[in-house]
Amino acid sequence: MIVVEGLHFSYDGREILRGVDLTFGGEILALVGPNGSGKTTLAKHLNGLLKPVRGRVLVDGMDTRRHTVAELSRKVGYVFQNPEHMFFEETVFDEVAFGPKNLGIRGEELEERVRWALQAVGLEGFEERTPYSLSGGEKQRLAIACVLAMKPKYLILDEPTSGLDGKAEKSVVRTIRTLREEGHGVLLITHDMDLVLELAERVVLLFNGRELFEGSVEEFFELELEEYSLELPELLELAKGLGAGFVRSVEELMEVLG
Amino acid sequence: MREFYVRKSSFLHSLDPRVKIVGTLLGILTLMFFNDPRFLFPVFFLILIAGRILGGIEVRRQLSLLKPLLVIVAFTLFFWPLIYSPWYMGLIFGVSFSLRLLSFGLLTFLLLMTTRQRELILGFVRLGLPYELGLTLTIALRYIPTLYSLAQTIMDAQRSRGLELDRGKPLVRLKKMTAVLIPLIVASLKTAHELSIALESRAFGYGKRRTFLRDIEMSRKDYAALAVIVATFLIAVYLRYSLGLGHVAIYRASS
Ligand SMILES: Nc1ncnc2c1ncn2[C@@H]1O[C@H](COP(=O)(O)OP(=O)(O)OP(=O)(O)O)[C@@H](O)[C@H]1O
Ligand SMILES: [Mg+2]
Repeated sequence: MIVVEGLHFSYDGREILRGVDLTFGGEILALVGPNGSGKTTLAKHLNGLLKPVRGRVLVDGMDTRRHTVAELSRKVGYVFQNPEHMFFEETVFDEVAFGPKNLGIRGEELEERVRWALQAVGLEGFEERTPYSLSGGEKQRLAIACVLAMKPKYLILDEPTSGLDGKAEKSVVRTIRTLREEGHGVLLITHDMDLVLELAERVVLLFNGRELFEGSVEEFFELELEEYSLELPELLELAKGLGAGFVRSVEELMEVLG
Repeated sequence: MREFYVRKSSFLHSLDPRVKIVGTLLGILTLMFFNDPRFLFPVFFLILIAGRILGGIEVRRQLSLLKPLLVIVAFTLFFWPLIYSPWYMGLIFGVSFSLRLLSFGLLTFLLLMTTRQRELILGFVRLGLPYELGLTLTIALRYIPTLYSLAQTIMDAQRSRGLELDRGKPLVRLKKMTAVLIPLIVASLKTAHELSIALESRAFGYGKRRTFLRDIEMSRKDYAALAVIVATFLIAVYLRYSLGLGHVAIYRASS
């Protein structure tokens, strides 16, 4: 369990987080909010990259102020917004092996972890390719694999589908589902409301550094989303127009409509 | 830190960019004449105070920009005493080099914090630099904060993968730095490429003669400031070369 209590944080004297409370366990939690609302800043507190000015963050009882990022990386994996910002090895295999190696894993276990992570994101067979030669969607999944190979209990994904085409997005979605089934908690930062509708089990809305809403996906989509520069998914617009109420997929809508 | 320029209406902000550029260059030149820490210390604080009073930039803000330079300072203070003999001469040299570096930094940042990009280009061009060079120089200066926050992000990403940059022997650390440097170089080259496309698509380099929407003109205040700058420079030259002040002889006792 990750517990955030009364978290305050400022950059250069400007307050970005103004008292955020959050608990996050083994589910898929969507963290949404307009640009600049503090989502990335909050996420960086969960693996100790930033330390709270006031309040505290506990990861399975470990206070992030008393542990290094490297220690916390065993528990919390963080996939950054731009995957290219982390690639530097010559092959996909070495790139994925970098994280677990930093944790002191060697030999057979290392190989095994790399294969497992690549398989989880559907990149088996790419071991000898150069990371920079991959397509956008493949890079995104490689970035996830790099962090997965460290076997963190919790995974933070910062806009994992931005800039991806439909097919690439689907494979990222599938990857996230698999992770959830294997018992990982996933914190999904996104502007994509379709993704929230499709995947999330709980939603937190951040606005001006405060948590304005926390609850189920169904409750979330009852909010006036335009006020937060967010848009209702087309599927829900359609369902509303047809008087069908809350549905999560086209199939569900068809069923309701009979 | 996203951009250097600080929107304010101070004396330095209102000064002609040419005067500020000349002032910065003469300031840097002057600093090269002197190496006595007893002289350089007050100069450093003088620049800080001038930035506060004449430029309206808080001292804390000026100092925070120097942070990246502290790596070089630490390195210098550590190594000069090791390779120099006697060691305390090395230390003096290290302190002097550091103070000069930090003062260069302060002066340059002060120019960037009080001058808009287009004024800076205009200043360079009106001083006789070709437009392309003026633009290149300005973009390079402006790119520093971008590069800095990019490096910050990349370091965060690699630290999240368990990289500990501050642990291990020097050689090991150097190797660890590649995990930061390679993505940084790739991202920089990408930005440079995008920039060149942006310039080309706006027909940059098409016309031979450039015209400017807003030109600059020296006012009486600008001439007065220039006079003060030149006078200060001449006094510094006099102090150093006629009176022999502000310089300590540094030599290797054994070579
Ligand atoms: N390193 C930094 N230094 C100073 N200010 C920063 C820094 N990083 C972020 N900020 C500021 O903090 C605020 C919150 O930024 P943050 O990146 O957390 O927003 P976000 O919700 O992730 O936005 P987006 O949807 O655009 O990714 C912004 O106003 C941003 O300008
Ligand atoms: Mg963000």
